[in-house]
Formats: sequence, structure tokens, C-alpha cells
Amino acid sequence: MIILYFLLIVFCLIHCGHSQKDEVICGLASSWLESVVLSVNIEKKGFHRELLYEVKHDPTPHVIKTLLIQRLPSGVYMDQYQLASLKEDTGLEVLLDSSVNLEDPAYVSPGFSALVYLRPAERVLQAAVPIHGRYHRPSNSGGWEKVTIEGPKLLLRPEKYETKTLPADLPHRVVKAPCTVRNQSLCSWLEIQTSLVSDSVSLKLPVGNLSLAGPVCAGTVLATLLCCALLFRSVWKHGIF
Amino acid sequence: MALTAERFIFRLLNFWVLHSLALVIRLFLVGYGIYQDKTMVVKYTDIDYHVFTDAARFVTQGESPYNRSTYRYTPLLAWILVPNIYVTPHFGKLLFVTCDVLSGVLLYRILSLQGLSSNAAGCFSAVWLLNPLPIGVSTRGSAEAVLSLLVLSTLLCLELKRLFMAAFFYALSVHMKIYPVTYALPIALYISSRGSLEGKGRSLFRILRGLFNKNVVMFAAVAGVVFLALTIAFYYMYGWDFLHETYLYHLTRRDIRHNFSPYFYMMYLSVESEWSLVLGLVSFLPQLLLLLLTSVAFYADLPFCCFLNTAIFVSFNKVCTSQYFLWYLCLLPLVLPRLRLSIKQGAGLLLLWFIGQGLWLMPAYYLEFEGHNTFVYIWLAGLLFLFINSFVMVQIISHYTPRTFHQTKKTE
Repeated sequence: MIILYFLLIVFCLIHCGHSQKDEVICGLASSWLESVVLSVNIEKKGFHRELLYEVKHDPTPHVIKTLLIQRLPSGVYMDQYQLASLKEDTGLEVLLDSSVNLEDPAYVSPGFSALVYLRPAERVLQAAVPIHGRYHRPSNSGGWEKVTIEGPKLLLRPEKYETKTLPADLPHRVVKAPCTVRNQSLCSWLEIQTSLVSDSVSLKLPVGNLSLAGPVCAGTVLATLLCCALLFRSVWKHGIF
Repeated sequence: MALTAERFIFRLLNFWVLHSLALVIRLFLVGYGIYQDKTMVVKYTDIDYHVFTDAARFVTQGESPYNRSTYRYTPLLAWILVPNIYVTPHFGKLLFVTCDVLSGVLLYRILSLQGLSSNAAGCFSAVWLLNPLPIGVSTRGSAEAVLSLLVLSTLLCLELKRLFMAAFFYALSVHMKIYPVTYALPIALYISSRGSLEGKGRSLFRILRGLFNKNVVMFAAVAGVVFLALTIAFYYMYGWDFLHETYLYHLTRRDIRHNFSPYFYMMYLSVESEWSLVLGLVSFLPQLLLLLLTSVAFYADLPFCCFLNTAIFVSFNKVCTSQYFLWYLCLLPLVLPRLRLSIKQGAGLLLLWFIGQGLWLMPAYYLEFEGHNTFVYIWLAGLLFLFINSFVMVQIISHYTPRTFHQTKKTE
């Protein structure tokens, strides 16, 4: 009984000492965590846009790996081949969780997730990820279709814990995700709830006008029949029969 | 001054000078493309070239080239580009550039066989050899030059009465892209009528009866065997993917994204309605009708017939991208010698054609890169482009002197 009690005390001491050490060593002190600010903006116009991510934090002597998990709706897509060539040219590291069809319209496409590995920096981490709009169903009056992209999840992983798993007692959710963009192994990451400067971004994509379907079909058929008749007459007149 | 200019052009049109110059220009641009790709954000190389290279890489790893999404060509193309992986990534571009210049050589040869002088043949083949459009397309890594080489080889072999080789090249070209199927009827009529003593005035019945002649059957058999052998072999290796991506995709392609076709907006708006099938069929009929009529009307002048068939096919197709224009551009030098249009008229038609393209490209740019809703303008520009294409074709047909078999016999 006494031995059990003794073991319990020792365990508590180790545990508290351990977590205290952790707070300092991994640099994930809650005060520092509150300084992390994530902002997402969407740039460019039309069907080809760019998602600009910016993570600002107070300087820390420790190296902390940052990962953004961005869930994307069916209305947009990312080109894995473009991302592969950007990785070679500019070092942008983005991993897609499934193969994304580049040509399908929005109503037959599923959403997907993109994992953006931000390069460690002193204070500000940035990434510009190109995305493209899909064609949407035409609407009854034309105009534009709004596609909303919710804010990403911010995940952190102190480098010291590369081989170990994170202690379970930290007040943040522990998530398993690929360690690097090469997707060779899974690591534990901490999901941080930060103050997002804007919760979601949206883009508007032009869509066709269903109310014009009748005139468009009639006009197209008439025009093609007219051109067909013109050519028919010319070939009939000058052809060798 | 005028004399030196004339002498310069005279020297330029010399066979070796012209073709060497064409090759040098293309090699220079390939080199420039490598430089631009390395240093600038906007790449010179076409995305298609990367698709081919990725597919070739899959082939070297023993896998299907169709693992590369958007690879919609014959596996043969991925196979011949395997040196892209083992030797140099620029091998494909050098190959396409060579095919491009060889197409020029074949154009020169066909024109010479038709009775043109060396200078005239050089002048008309320069329309292809020194034309920025095919130069740009093949130096950027697009494979259209291979197909134009195959089509021109078919025409040259038919001109030389080498039916066996013609059938072989024809089967290869149909294997690569579907549109040469539209040449089947003109070629069959051409072969069947060539030996006969009858000239004009044959009834449709007699024309069709003449199709069952020994040479036509031989041509059809050889082409059929080669095509089937390739299809069966690749189906055995790559299964359904091969059939779907190489042929069925193109046949059933209902691309609702904006393109030059006049049908684009109609297809986009009706893609999920019950009218979609009917409209698809309705849009197929003008194409079919015109192709049949043109084949029967002009088969005696095979290059002209193929040119018209291709232009009609492209203009009335449900999908039309700028790559398709090369399909009939490679046959234009064979049509020009017998075209009675003045330089001014020809330049006017060319300008009109470019204006039609420009009027489409503007709203398309605003839609894709600025996000304006310009669908109606793109649709109207597509219809206008169809009118302009039809007008240009009507002008060409009215001012052309087709070869007939009487004339062919005279030159032989």
C-alpha cells in the first residue's frame, strides 16, 4: 500500500516536472500560442486564383513545423501537376489527400483536402497556393455562383518531438498527419485554435443563364443550318459530279 | 534593289536553303524555350509536353501511360517518347521539329509531282515551313507534327500509286487521331476511279458500285489489318483505359468549357436536360451531310477534298481548340497553287479569319481571367467564327480549279 502511494507520488512529480519542462522546452507555452495569428486571403480574379496564407507568431528559439489542413469544396480544384512543378521551382509544399480530376464540373466532383507545409521562418510564414474554379451548373438568371472556402486548421509540431509522440496532457487536440510532404510516415501534430483574421474566404465564378437556353439552342441550330446550307450550295455548284 | 530582293527570294526558295532555314529557326526556338522555362515564370513549353513525358515515364516503369490523367493519345506516342526519360527531356521536341520539317519536304515533293516548278513548290511549302503557327506548336512540344507527317505521307503514297504504303500510313494516322476517318470515302473514290476511263458524269450508283474494285478492297484490307492489330495489341496491354482515352473520349466528348465551337454554350446549358441527346445528334448532322457531299464532289482532287473535309469537320465539331487548325493548315500549301484568289483577296480572307478568332479570344479572356460573365458574347463570337469559316471556305471553293482525272492523265 505504502509502496503504491510512494509510486503514485513519484509518478506525479515526474509527470509535473515533465510537463513543466515541456512547457519551456518545446516552446509551446500558452502565452506564445496566443500570439499565433493566421490569415487567409484570396487573390487574382476569374477561374484561376491564389490562396495566400500568412501565419504570424512571436519569435521563438525553437524550430516549429507548421501545417495547414485546408478543406476545399467541390467548386474548386488544385492541379497536382502544377503543384509538383511549383515545388521544384519555388519550394511550395502542398500534399493533396486524393487524386483530383482537373476537368470535371463542380456537380460531379467531390471536395478534397490540401495539406500545406509552411517553411519555418522567424516571425511570418507565408504560402501562396494556386487554385482553379470548376464549371458550375447554369443558374436560372446567370450571374455568379459563390464558392466558400472555410478557414484551414493550423497544426504545429515542435521539432524536438520528431521521434516521440506528444504528451497527451497538453490542452490542444492531437492530430495524426503526414510528417512531411513526402507522405512517408505519420506524426502527431497539435491542432491550434487561433484567432483567424477572417474565418472563410469566398470567390464568385460566372455561370451560364438557363433562361436563355431556348434562344441559345434555337440560335445555334439556325446558324449552323444556315452555314451548312451555304456550304452545301457552294459545293453543289462547283463540285464535279 | 528589286533585282537583289528577287534574287534573295530565288535563293531562299531553293530546296536545301528553305528546309535548312526552317530547321534552324525551329532548333533556335527549342533552345530559347529551354532558356525561358528555366528563367521565367511563364513557361514556353506546352502543358501537353509534360503530359507526354509523364506518360513516357510510366511506360519506362512498366505501367500504363493512362495513369497520367489527361493523357488522351495512343500509347505509341508515349513509347516513342521514352528517350525523353533515358536520353534527354528535350528529345520529344526535337522529334516533333524533325517531323515538322519532313512534312515540309513531303509538301514540296507532292507539289513537284503535281507539275509545279521548283520555285513554285518552294514558295507554297514555305507557307508551312516559315509559318509561325506550326513553328510555335512543334517547338512548344505539341505532337500535331507527327500527324501531319502521317497524313502527308498517305497523300504522297497515293499520288505515287504505292497503295500498300498509303494504307499503312493511313491506318497509323487514324490510330493516332480519329479525324482522318473523314478521308476514307474520298480516298476510296479516288482509288476506284483512277484507273477507269470514265470521267465526269458518273451517276451516284455507278460511283458506289465502283468502290468494290480490287485496289479499294486491297487498301481497305491493309489499313483495316494494321489498325486492328494496333488496337488489339494495345487493348491487350492497357485494357479499357486505352479504348476510352484514345477513342471514346473524343467521340463522346461533351466539353462544356468554353472553346471555339459554335455549340459550346448550347451544350453547357443543356448538359443535364433531356434535350441533350437530341441536340447532340442534331449538331452531328450538318457535319455528316457536308462531309459526304464534299467527298463525292471533289474526290478527284484528293488534297483539296481532304483539306475541305478537315476544315468542315473542325468548324462544325462540338469541340474546337486552336490545335485543330493545324489539321487543315498542313494541307493548305497543296490547295494554294490552284486557287485563283489575288494576294489582296487572300490577305483579306486571312485577316477576316484572325479577326474572328480575336473576337472570340477577348470575351474568353475576360471570362477566364477576370471573372466577368461573358458567356453570351463568347457564344455570339463562336457563331460569328462559324460564319467567317464558312465564308472563307465558300470563297476558296468558288475560286478553286479542281484537278480532274482528265488533267491527271495529261500530266502523267
